[in-house]
Amino acid sequence: MKKVLFVALFAALFSTVQAQDAPKLYTLPSPFERYTHFLATARMSGAAPVGSFSNSFIDKASLRNFSISIEWVLRNSPLSVGAELGTSYFQKRLPRALYVSGNETLSAVQTRSFTQNPLQLFVNYHFLNKSSMIQPYAQLSGGISIADYSLYYGTLVEQKQKVAPAYGIGLGSKFLFKKDGSLGADVRVKYEGTTFKYGYIDNGTSTINASVGLFYRWW
Amino acid sequence: MTKVFSLIFLTALIGLSSCTKDPIKDLTTEDSLVYITNRDTSANYKAYKTFSVVDSVTVIENNRRGAALLEIDRDVLTRIISNMKSMGYVQVTPDQKPDLGINVSWITNSQINVTTMPSYWGGYGYGYGYGFGYPSYYQYYQTSESYWHVSMVDFKNPNTVDKTFKVVWDAQIRGSGIGSREFVNTMIDSIYAQSGYLKK
Repeated sequence: MKKVLFVALFAALFSTVQAQDAPKLYTLPSPFERYTHFLATARMSGAAPVGSFSNSFIDKASLRNFSISIEWVLRNSPLSVGAELGTSYFQKRLPRALYVSGNETLSAVQTRSFTQNPLQLFVNYHFLNKSSMIQPYAQLSGGISIADYSLYYGTLVEQKQKVAPAYGIGLGSKFLFKKDGSLGADVRVKYEGTTFKYGYIDNGTSTINASVGLFYRWW
Repeated sequence: MTKVFSLIFLTALIGLSSCTKDPIKDLTTEDSLVYITNRDTSANYKAYKTFSVVDSVTVIENNRRGAALLEIDRDVLTRIISNMKSMGYVQVTPDQKPDLGINVSWITNSQINVTTMPSYWGGYGYGYGYGFGYPSYYQYYQTSESYWHVSMVDFKNPNTVDKTFKVVWDAQIRGSGIGSREFVNTMIDSIYAQSGYLKK
């Protein structure tokens, strides 16, 4: 009988201990899951012109592309919204050639450059929750791009600055350095386009950008 | 928080705009040279046989005009003569009434475009008493740098109604090496090489 009582008592005590252990602190949702929080990302990217932009103006890829973004990661939602400001630069040089226009013939080394500074609002859809170490997402963006078209014949330049609508669609992923941490890396592949038309660019600009970045998040 | 974000974006915008690159920084002097030629499609170049070249270069600088015959000017005139001859034209003196007149100018820091240019040509010493008429299709790039301007004037068919001579061909040479004797042959040969229709 004593043995039975002892076992029952032990079992009761053990279960009590278990019950007290249940609400452990580390099982609480992360503050990044419980609250809307902010996220700032700095990226650098390689970009390759595609489509008619590549065929008619510049087909050379560029590594001179940077951006920063600020993001609001919404609570109880897979979405985040934000704004991104970037710059990208493309350049191509053609050997000396003759350019005939009507009665005029021009011989020159041609240098083409295209700079754009897109400012876009974006929406990210995250496929996993905010405590996940890997957070893949899809992105849609739209805004404006301050574009600078330059066509040099030797040292003579024909320039056009214009603000054009810009848009983009991308797939990426965030990688947290530490669970529930504030720092992480961001990798993204994005198609970006503008409706800029001038000179050789007769059907807007299109580029594929592959970026790596670092982000910091806080709440 | 809005102020912080605004500040971040403003700083970034200034930072990004300061990264602007000069696309032609690495262009060599020879590659910087630009040759622009215009032709009169109604002109029959095979009908011209003789030509004469001015004895000095007209210098036009900020609405002032003069003449120069420095070493580089002499080089330019000599090279023009050799190119004209190799294209089949015969050089004569102005008093032998050439079919074509070649004028050479060095234009600096001027906003002159071709429509106002005839006022600078009154001193052209061929004794016809005519001004020069430019066809309406002439178009030029506007810059403030110096450039060479070579024009070929039709003395064979003067316009007796408005007393003008027609410019049947002209050339501009621009770029950072135009003041160097080293590039004279390249420059002059190039403007003729791209104007094969002048060849007889």
